Amino acid sequence: MRIEISYKFIIGFLVVVVSGVIVNLAVPHLKIPGEFQQTFSIACALVVGLIIGAIFSRAFTTNIRQLTSAGDRIRQGDLSEDLTLQQNLFPDETSDLAKAMNYIQESLRALVGDIRGIAFKVASSAQHLSGTAQEMSASSQQVAETVDQISKGAETQAEMVEESNRLFKEVAMSINLVASSAKKVAESAHQTVETANSGSALAGTSLSSIRQVLVEAESSGKQMVNFVAQLQKISKFVEVINGIAQKTNLLALNATIEAARAGEYGHGFAVVAEEIRKLADSTTISSDEITGLVEGIRAEGQQVQASMAQVIEEMENGREAVDRTSQAFTEITDNAVGTRAKANSIAELAEQQIVSAERITRAIEEIDKVVSDNAAATEQVSAATQEQSAAMEELAQSAKDLSSMSETLLKVVKQFKLVKQEQD
Amino acid sequence: MILTLIFTLGEVVYGLEIDAIQEIIEDPVLHHVPRAEGVLKGAINFHGQILAMVDLPELLGFAGAMRDPRRVVLTPAGKSLVLTVSSIQRIVPLDLANMHAPPENCEKGAIRGVADMDETAVNLLDTDEILNQLEARYAE
Repeated sequence: MRIEISYKFIIGFLVVVVSGVIVNLAVPHLKIPGEFQQTFSIACALVVGLIIGAIFSRAFTTNIRQLTSAGDRIRQGDLSEDLTLQQNLFPDETSDLAKAMNYIQESLRALVGDIRGIAFKVASSAQHLSGTAQEMSASSQQVAETVDQISKGAETQAEMVEESNRLFKEVAMSINLVASSAKKVAESAHQTVETANSGSALAGTSLSSIRQVLVEAESSGKQMVNFVAQLQKISKFVEVINGIAQKTNLLALNATIEAARAGEYGHGFAVVAEEIRKLADSTTISSDEITGLVEGIRAEGQQVQASMAQVIEEMENGREAVDRTSQAFTEITDNAVGTRAKANSIAELAEQQIVSAERITRAIEEIDKVVSDNAAATEQVSAATQEQSAAMEELAQSAKDLSSMSETLLKVVKQFKLVKQEQD
Repeated sequence: MILTLIFTLGEVVYGLEIDAIQEIIEDPVLHHVPRAEGVLKGAINFHGQILAMVDLPELLGFAGAMRDPRRVVLTPAGKSLVLTVSSIQRIVPLDLANMHAPPENCEKGAIRGVADMDETAVNLLDTDEILNQLEARYAE
């Protein structure tokens, strides 16, 4: 039965008063001396009052104490015990208060339980977040490193592209040189062909001239033979003349001798004989001269024949040489024609190569552009990554903070005992 | 002035009066005489006569000289010898009256004297001496 404290107070007072009255009424019956009756009644009233007061206040204070200790417990965080008042015979406001405190405890429990649960979740989430933040930081670093590599790679690419460009320019230059050299070679080959052709024609002309000379030499040789035969005839005639002259000389001598033997009559005859002898002598001289001339001519003719033979031999050699020269010219012409063809094909190939080189150069320029773009993009990515990295660090830091805060919260929350079996 | 036949023996110019000469014949057929002395080259048929031919150059020490194919046939006064000489030149009139005496120590040369022919010395042949020399040779 619920009695409010005020009623309890009133009841107490009433009881005390009643008891006083009772005592007062009773005292005369108790045979207590008159002077002690007041004291006795006061004492009885006091006693009753004390007793009731004690009982009441004890109950009250016990409840209050319990409430206080419960409040203390709650303050200390022990939410495990529900408060049940011992002195709860006549529930009053303290029991209300106890109920209220129980409600408070309950709701605190619930709250703390929730907070704990949430704190756990937060802690785990914070850890998760921290872990993720670290991972992200690590991968962000990796990305940064990769981007760095890419950047360096892009630099290297750019260098390589420049190098390639330079090399291709050199290649293009040397191809140009090759092309112009090939053209020059073709030209000189052409000239060589023409020169060889004219040389060949000259050789042909020389050959025909040599042949003509040989033919004429042959006919001259025949003429020489005739010539020598004529000389022989002359020699024979001169011999005959010489013989005649000698015989005439002899006859003249003998005639002189006979004339001398004839004496006077032989004088004229002797003179005539002498003249005849002189004639014979001069004839001999002349025929000697003729013989000398003939000999000279024969000697010269032999010389001529010898030199002609030599000439013919040399002509033969010359003919052979011209033949060989002609062959050589033909070879040269063939070679030069071949060279010209090759030079022309080289020039064509060089032209093609130049075209290809130009294409390659343009492609390289494109690559260069791409590389530049890449480099720029990489720089941007790098900057962004750095920002991201910083943000990641901040996030990691925040996660750490959150984690530590949740730890703190957990620690704080752990102080509350929700269930009796919980350990601190 | 006496007509003289001028001939050479080697390089030496000799002369002989044509009185002593019968005829000059050209390269007559020479018949070999067995066991004849070297100087006697052989025998020839001169108009039916058999005459001995003497190689004058060899006899007078001009053995290496050339020989004229014409031979000089001497008159019977010269024992009709046939002489081979180096070269028969011609017949000229010489002043033999004023010929010089032959050089000393020249008996083997068969020179009677030296005549003058236009600044050339002509040794006149001594046919007797030739005969003597021949006989001398045959005597050995």
